[in-house]
Amino acid sequence: MRNKRTAYIVFLISVSVLLFSCSGIKITSQYYFEHEKVLDQVESTYRTLYQGKPFSLAFTDKLFRTVSLEIITDTLTYIYDFNVEEKRLNDTAAKYHLDSAGLNKLIGYMRSIHCTWVNNFDYYVDEKKNSLIFISIKPVLFHSAFSYKKYYILTYYSQPQHFDPQGRLLDKRKMRKLRKINGEIFYRINDKVCYTISGLFR
Amino acid sequence: MKGRWMKSFLVLCTQPLVSIALGIPIPCIPYGYPFTPTSTQQEAIAFVDSISELSPSSYWPGIKPALFLKNVKTNVHEPLGIYPGRGTNFCGYGALTYLMLQDDPLGYARLLFQLYLEGKASYGNIFFEPSPEVKAAAGTLRSKGVLDIHPAEQMWFLCLADHFKGYLNFFQRTYHPGDEDSFWAAVNYAKFNSMVRQLLHVNVNARGADLFRPSVGNTFNYIAKKMREGIVVLYVNNRILHKNKLEKIKLQIPTHYIILESITRVKDTVTLIYWDYGGKTLRQIRSDFLHKIVFGISCCTKK
Repeated sequence: MRNKRTAYIVFLISVSVLLFSCSGIKITSQYYFEHEKVLDQVESTYRTLYQGKPFSLAFTDKLFRTVSLEIITDTLTYIYDFNVEEKRLNDTAAKYHLDSAGLNKLIGYMRSIHCTWVNNFDYYVDEKKNSLIFISIKPVLFHSAFSYKKYYILTYYSQPQHFDPQGRLLDKRKMRKLRKINGEIFYRINDKVCYTISGLFR
Repeated sequence: MKGRWMKSFLVLCTQPLVSIALGIPIPCIPYGYPFTPTSTQQEAIAFVDSISELSPSSYWPGIKPALFLKNVKTNVHEPLGIYPGRGTNFCGYGALTYLMLQDDPLGYARLLFQLYLEGKASYGNIFFEPSPEVKAAAGTLRSKGVLDIHPAEQMWFLCLADHFKGYLNFFQRTYHPGDEDSFWAAVNYAKFNSMVRQLLHVNVNARGADLFRPSVGNTFNYIAKKMREGIVVLYVNNRILHKNKLEKIKLQIPTHYIILESITRVKDTVTLIYWDYGGKTLRQIRSDFLHKIVFGISCCTKK
């Protein structure tokens, strides 16, 4: 009798886990509003630093202690990995004229919300170059063990964007064509900020 | 020519060591094509600069003639800027084109103009006759970075993917919108080497496979030796090259082609300078990590 009950409980737990894993993750723009202040600080700090020296920053380990710093110069892109407490990080930043105080501030903001990557992307509308800031976050709470898509991606635009009635990001107002980034459809948070859930952080 | 190549190779090898030791940034050294090219960049520039205007092509409805002309001229003047697009499977075609622009830039320019004007073209023994789907798509790809405004590259990469087929393309033979990101455009290692052999005037010595690392002993020593013989293309796992320990499951498969321009080692740190995605990158990794990421080593030598 006891064995039957144990088997029944195990069965129920298994079914629940499977159902949870298959249900997908219901993340909406709520995540953005919960962390709006820090996310906006990541974006504004990165934008300011990027104007001084183009670069991207990624965390590459689960404990958010190792960063991969990609510094873009006219001739070469340099990619270095550092422990965030290493002195070499600041030395390298100084060598490439990257504001190290600002960089450390950015690292702090990113660690606090488990932001895995921040980068600047170019995109073109009517052959005119525009740029957006791409932020990937690895949320710790809302992903199930078997789910594939697990990074929360935010894109910050300089200009207001166009959306369809379902809130999907459009390429241009007239075309009614969705603008996919890395193959993903993006959804409106506000006129300048969009989000999606992706399996890849870059 | 061989002496010049040896000199530039020695500079490439020693300068990073000195720079690392002194803690100063390594300057970018222009990479010289180590062989006598089939045609010169000057010949190609003279050819493209002689064309001042193009009329719209009925074969390629999505391509704007002025943008196409500008794109071909830019590629001939600055082959470094070849960009296979963000999120696409064009990196193998990009690497091939970068090599082609160094070996035969005039042939490249003529081929692209012939494709544009006649809708089909031949290069050596290869006859390109792109499918109607590819012709409709060229010039319309979007959200791929600067590839968006490079219709000549879009046309060329789509034509290559349409013409050359490997086992990865078995189930997706026909182009459908969005297939530039899918298996339709994928380039397995044998296909890449075959394309290089057919399109470039080089012999290819290839070690490696799609699923297994090459058994070449010490990977660094082997690559360094091959760098002395010719141009080296590495087939690497890009998801590891851009380190990411956040993933639970990391697939140990190669996904990316890079043209190696320099490789040096100080103690256990290997410094690579390579071309990919429209520019050169310097990356420092551990020796064992180099072994882990490299699945194919192709050495191209002049025929």
